[in-house]
Amino acid sequence: MRSQQTYKYRNQQVIVPDGYLAVGQIAGAHGLRGEVKVELHTDYPDRFAAGVALYMGTNLAEMTIESVRPHKSHLLIRFQGVYNREDAEELRGHWLFVDEADAAILDEDVYWVHDIVGLAVYDQDDRLLGEITDVLFTGANEVYAIKPAPGVNQDKELLVPAIATVVQDVNLEDGVMIVMLPNGLIEGE
Amino acid sequence: MSRSLKKGPFVEPKLLKRIEEMNRRGERKVVKTWSRASTIFPQFVGHTIAVHDGRRHVPVYITENMVGHKLGEFAPTRYFRGHIRAEKGTRARR
Repeated sequence: MRSQQTYKYRNQQVIVPDGYLAVGQIAGAHGLRGEVKVELHTDYPDRFAAGVALYMGTNLAEMTIESVRPHKSHLLIRFQGVYNREDAEELRGHWLFVDEADAAILDEDVYWVHDIVGLAVYDQDDRLLGEITDVLFTGANEVYAIKPAPGVNQDKELLVPAIATVVQDVNLEDGVMIVMLPNGLIEGE
Repeated sequence: MSRSLKKGPFVEPKLLKRIEEMNRRGERKVVKTWSRASTIFPQFVGHTIAVHDGRRHVPVYITENMVGHKLGEFAPTRYFRGHIRAEKGTRARR
C-alpha cells in the first residue's frame, strides 16, 4: 500500500500520498456539460492547461484536462470522459495532485510551506527559540509562527518576519532555521 | 465621506514620533502599535512595525510600495489555518 500523510484542512482530513503535492480541490459541478469548479492550491495556476494529466483522490486516478477557463477565483475544468453534470458531481470534494518530480522549480530562497513548517528555529547565539507551526501570509512579508521553547518569549507564540535581515539560513536537511532577531521582537528582551 | 485633504493622511502621532526618533538616531527596532488605521508614511520604509491583529502583534517590514496604505491592511484579522502538502511556496528571505 502506498504511504501517505494526513492533514487537517477546514475540519476535514485530507490524505496526501507521499511523493505528490496537492494543487487543487474540486469544489463542485458547474453547468450541465461536465465542467467542475476547482479551488486552487498552487502558486502556479498555469499548470492547469488542456492536455495536462493530474492525479485525483487517494487512488491517484489519472485525469486529463480537456478544457480550462477562469471563473471568479476558481477555474472551470472539463476532464476527458466527464461530459454530464451527474458525472461531474461525483468528483466533488476530490483533491487533485501532481507528482512531486513535476512540481514547479522554486527560486532561490523560496521553500514549500510544508517544508518550512516543523523546522527548529535557532537564534544567532545557537539558542533554540522553538518550532515553526504555521506560515502566515500577510500581504507584505510572510510571517513564521513559532511555538516557543520553554522560557522563550514568556512562553507566548513568537512571530518572526520572513525577511533577509532576519532569516539567516534555512537547512532543510537538518531541519533547522537560523534567525537574527531584531531588537524588540521578543517580549522582555 | 472621505477625509478632508486639509488635514492630510492620518497617522498616530506617537508612532510617527517614535519612527522619526529612530531615523534620527539611525536605529532599527521593532515598534509595536495598535493603530491599524495609521497611514504608512515614507519615513516608515525600512522599519519593521508589529501591527496588532486583535490578538497579537504581526511584524510587518515596510517597503516603498506600501507607502500610502494603512498598517492594518498588512495584518489580517483572520488567517487561513491548516496548510496541507500543496504546491505553495514561501520566500524565506524577501
